[in-house]
Amino acid sequence: MTDMTQNSSTQISTPAADGSSFAILRHQFLQIWQVLAALVLIYLVFFVLSEPFRSLDTLLSIFGQASILAILACGTTVVLISGGLDLSVGSIFAVVGVIVGIALAEYQLPVLVAVLIGLMAGAAMGALNGTIQVFTKVPAFIVTLGGLTAYKGIAEILASGRDLSRFPESFQMLGSGYLVPMLIMFGVALLTGLFLTKTRLGNHAFAIGGNEEVARLSGVNVRKSRIYYYMLGGVLAATAAILEVSKLNFAMPARGQSYELFAIAAVVIGGTSLFGGRGGVGKTLIGMLIMQTIIVGLSYLGVGTSVQRIAIGIIIIVAVYWDVWRRPSR
Amino acid sequence: MASQVGDKTILHARGVSKHYGGVVALEDVDLDLREGEVLAVVGDNGAGKSTLIKALTGAISKTSGTIEMDGRVVQINSPTEAKAAGIETVYQDLALVNELSITKNMFLGREIVRDDILGRLFGTLDFGKMDAEIRALFQKLDIRIADIYREAEAFSGGQRQAVALAKTVMFGKRIAILDEPTAALGVRESKMAMDLVRSLKDHGLSVIMITHNMQHVMNYCDRVMVLRLGRLAAVRDVKDVDGDALVGLITGATEDKAA
Repeated sequence: MTDMTQNSSTQISTPAADGSSFAILRHQFLQIWQVLAALVLIYLVFFVLSEPFRSLDTLLSIFGQASILAILACGTTVVLISGGLDLSVGSIFAVVGVIVGIALAEYQLPVLVAVLIGLMAGAAMGALNGTIQVFTKVPAFIVTLGGLTAYKGIAEILASGRDLSRFPESFQMLGSGYLVPMLIMFGVALLTGLFLTKTRLGNHAFAIGGNEEVARLSGVNVRKSRIYYYMLGGVLAATAAILEVSKLNFAMPARGQSYELFAIAAVVIGGTSLFGGRGGVGKTLIGMLIMQTIIVGLSYLGVGTSVQRIAIGIIIIVAVYWDVWRRPSR
Repeated sequence: MASQVGDKTILHARGVSKHYGGVVALEDVDLDLREGEVLAVVGDNGAGKSTLIKALTGAISKTSGTIEMDGRVVQINSPTEAKAAGIETVYQDLALVNELSITKNMFLGREIVRDDILGRLFGTLDFGKMDAEIRALFQKLDIRIADIYREAEAFSGGQRQAVALAKTVMFGKRIAILDEPTAALGVRESKMAMDLVRSLKDHGLSVIMITHNMQHVMNYCDRVMVLRLGRLAAVRDVKDVDGDALVGLITGATEDKAA
C-alpha cells in the first residue's frame, strides 16, 4: 500500500496505458475463482462417485436445467446488488406464462407479439413493485411478499376455465432441447453483465446498494434507478417464463412456485452480497450450476428430493456465512 | 500563501433557518463567503454546523432564508442543484461508496458517457477517459494513489479523504464545502488533508469548512464563524483571535461585542 505521506514520487502513476482492462479482468477473476473451484470440485466428486454421471448428456442436462432459473436469477442479481429484494418474481413468472398462453392458445396471436406482450407484462409488474417501494418506503421484503401472493392470484384468475396448451410449433422451438435455452441463458447473462459493468445505470446499482445516501448526495436519481432494476427483474422473469411455457407446451398458474427462492439461493451461493453493493451475473451463473450439479448428482446417487433440499439449504447458509465472514467489519 | 483573498463576496446566505417541528436547529443565520478564502465554521455539538451546510447544499430543505451567488438569488433545493451552481460538498461519513473503485467514486453521478452510438443509446461509460482525467488530477494535486481500479475501502482514511477532496477540484467550479475533513484522521494524515484543503484555493475554489480543531482554524483558515445553539455567535478574521478566545465564543463564556 502506498502511503500518501511518503515523499518519493516514484510510485505515483503507472501509466494509464498499463492495460486497465487487464487489471479489471484479473480483479474479476480473483473474485470468481473460489466459486468456480467449488463448482469444479463438486462436479468431480460426483464424477468419481457415479458412473452414469460421467456422460456428456448429464453435463448438458445440468446446463439445460439451470438455464431457465439462471435467466430469472440474472434479474435477481441486479436487484440484490442495488440493495433491493424481489420475492414476487416467481409469481410474475406465473402471470406471464398464463398471459402468453392466453395470447397464443385463445387469441392465436403471432408468436412474436405474444412474446412481446409477455415481456411487457413482466416489466410492468416489476416496475409496480419498485414504484410502490420508492414512494411508500414500505420495505422491499413486504412489498414483494404482497406481490408474491397478489400476482399469484392474478395468474389464477386469468387462467381459470381456460385450456392453455398446444402452442404453435414455432413457439415450441424456443424452449425445446438444451441448446436454445442454454444459448439464451448465456446471451442474457452476457447482456446483463455488460449492463452492470459498462453502463451508467448498471454502475449506479452498485453505488445505491453500497451506500444509498452517498449515491443520493452524489446526484444519482435513486428512486428512478431502483424502479428500472425491478423492471429488469420482471423482464427477465418473463423471459424465463416464456421459455418454460414453450418447453412444457402448456401454461398454468402453479408454475414458478419458489423460483424466487432458488434464484436468491443461486445468487448468494455465487457470492453476490445479500447486503448489496457487490456481485455479478458470472457468479450467479456459477451459483446456479453448483445448485443444479448437486441436485442432478445426488439423484444419480439415489438420494431423494427431500435430502437434496436439505443439502441446498445447508449450502445457502454456508455461502452467506462466507459472505459475512469475509466482509470487512467496517 | 499562494493566492490572495479577494473582497468580492461569492456566496451570501441570508436569514437561514431550519425548524424540525417545534425544534429550532438553526435560526436566522447569515453567511458570507469571500472569493478565494477558507471560512471555518465552528461550534459545539448541536450548534447547527451540519444543519447549516446541509441547508446550503440542498441536502435538507430550509425553513426560511435565501442564498445569493454573485449577487443573484439562486434556488438550491437538492444536491444536484448545488452541484449545478458550482458547489461541491464533502460529507464526513458520506464521501465515498466503499464498494466502488476510486474512478467510479470520483465520477459517481457525473460519469463520462462514451461519445458514440453505444453511449447515446445505453449510457455506456468511457472508463479510459475517466481514468485519464483522474490520473492527471492526482498528479496535479500530488495525491499518490496508483491503483484507481481498487475499491475505496482498500485505502487508508487519509487516502480516502484525499480522493474526496480531489472531487471538489474536479467538479466544484466555485465553492467547496467540507464537513470535518480530518475527523477520522491521524496527525500526519490530517496535515496532508489540510495542505490539500489549502491548495484548493490555488485551484480557484472558495472553501467553507466545518471543524472542531482550533489549530486548523488558526493555521489554515482566513475567517471563522462561530455558531451557538443554532444562532450565529460571532464572525472573526482569524488574525484577530486566538484559540482561547474562540473556545470562549463557542461555549458562550465570551459574548461577542462586535455583533
